[in-house]
Amino acid sequence: MTLAAFIERSKREKEGWRYTDLEALLASKKTVIPAKAGIPLGSAAENSSARLLFKNGVFQPKLSTFGSVPSCILMGDLASGYSLTLGEKTCLVSQPIELVFETDQESSEEIPLKFSIDIGDNGRLTLLENYRPTPIPVTVDMDVTLRPRAKLVHGKIAAGGPHLALHKVRAQTGCYYSNFSLLRGSAPARHELDVALEGEESQTSLNGIMLLRGHDHADITARVAHKAPRCTSRQNYRSVLDDASRGVFQGKIAVSPGAQKTDSYQLSRALLLSDKAEMDAKPELEIYADDVKCSHGSSIGDLDENAMFYLRSRGLNEKEAQAVLVEGFISEMLDALQPNEWREIFRREIEAWHDL
Amino acid sequence: MLEIHNLHASIAGKEILKGIDLTVPAGQVHAIMGPNGSGKSTLSYVLSGREGYTVTEGSIEWNGEELLGMSPEQRAAAGVFLAMQYPVEIPGVSNMTFLKASLNAVRKARGESELDAMQMLKLLRAKAKAIGLSEDMLKRAVNVGFSGGEKKRNEILQMAVLEPTLCILDETDSGLDIDALKIIADGVNAMRSPKRTMLIITHYQRLLDYIAPDAVHVLAYGKIRKSGGPELAKELEQKGYIEFSGEAA
Repeated sequence: MTLAAFIERSKREKEGWRYTDLEALLASKKTVIPAKAGIPLGSAAENSSARLLFKNGVFQPKLSTFGSVPSCILMGDLASGYSLTLGEKTCLVSQPIELVFETDQESSEEIPLKFSIDIGDNGRLTLLENYRPTPIPVTVDMDVTLRPRAKLVHGKIAAGGPHLALHKVRAQTGCYYSNFSLLRGSAPARHELDVALEGEESQTSLNGIMLLRGHDHADITARVAHKAPRCTSRQNYRSVLDDASRGVFQGKIAVSPGAQKTDSYQLSRALLLSDKAEMDAKPELEIYADDVKCSHGSSIGDLDENAMFYLRSRGLNEKEAQAVLVEGFISEMLDALQPNEWREIFRREIEAWHDL
Repeated sequence: MLEIHNLHASIAGKEILKGIDLTVPAGQVHAIMGPNGSGKSTLSYVLSGREGYTVTEGSIEWNGEELLGMSPEQRAAAGVFLAMQYPVEIPGVSNMTFLKASLNAVRKARGESELDAMQMLKLLRAKAKAIGLSEDMLKRAVNVGFSGGEKKRNEILQMAVLEPTLCILDETDSGLDIDALKIIADGVNAMRSPKRTMLIITHYQRLLDYIAPDAVHVLAYGKIRKSGGPELAKELEQKGYIEFSGEAA
């Protein structure tokens, strides 16, 4: 989906975009793209993972490391889209695949990426998308098919710059899909997840962190459709907003008729560090089955005064106390992050945001 | 030496402290006792610099330095420490991280070098052990899921680590069973020193059986109504605060 297609879609689907006026946001060049890129290229290859590099959207096999992953794992090109197919019972868990997206020129107007991921029966994949900061708009159109009992552990870092992504996931019977996404200083960013649990006893766990300041605008829209009985879904998002930034969380749980014994939970928490920051949270539950467990929670607040005084009375200045509380707020999310090696990668991205 | 002169403080326009005069010489332990609502906690917060309290009159001098006007962190650097009545839970921040950040901030402000990770670990382990807190408690989030006694012990641990010179203990005995009380008292007594001044704020005389004060003051209706030796605490235990129930002149 190109930038124009995203804008077109945002105009068509007004309700789903009511807090994110894409056209206006793209036109206002208010956001500064962070100069610091976080992880410098090549430094994350400490583990055995495969690291596939994309420059301006073009896959660079020669600059990539594959570890023990076959080099034919990724097919296609920028124009026709990339595909990543995992056969039956193929397991790539111990060799997580990291897709790194870099840009090196200001000339291209946009980078429209298209991915098709297909994981066969009982296949296992751990995949991280890592978008380095760029002023060039990046659009991501990703389709994921999980065949029976397939498992995808999916992570994403959008480190800054216009980023529009739609991840569509279709899970068949007994699948597991998890997503952990970090949106850092984006201008604007829309991270959209559309997860359809089509087969019985599938599970999904959607998690994320938004770190915003300046005039950043980021939008996380997560929809889970329970279409079959006995599926489980969890959504857990935390946002930190400073200055005049704006965050949006739209979380939807839709339970189809017949999707009995659905177990679903959604939580969004936001911490506002400035009077000018704004968070819009829209939880939505649409339930057409009568034997289900669905709940949601949402909180938007500022720093706890008691905690601030506690820390300051122990010698930390206001800024240090705030940093400790923000870190605590986020690190509760990281504690649950799997695989373990991602924790360090995400932690570094968060630290880099603090230091900017 | 702590010298409080004619201290008036109000919260949201309501005057709570109505002219407190109190002098605590260096090395001494003084107890402030009083009925509920007498202004005990307000006094502890005003001493430690909490926002939300307006000091309308008076002064608080600590070793000749005026504390009013200093931020809580400046007071901490000057040696002030408040052991809270209700220690705050901080999810996501480990006790270890909290203690490290705190000690290094205070050391930095005092012009001392920061401790490295190994020195810090060694120090925290030793101090935690002395107050009967397991290493596991250092790894857990600050006060989260701690029992009442553990929270109070954690306060004393912070005090032992930061080595303040003015220790204010606000109702440290509340909610403690007798065993926990003894552990806390041992921790506090171990820190008594000619260089350290302590103010123990309490409703009951019980804690003073274990931490013997040099002097006892009765705070009621925002003023020190009576001062005396340790025997005053025993007297209050028998007679209660009825004598101070009227807003006397």
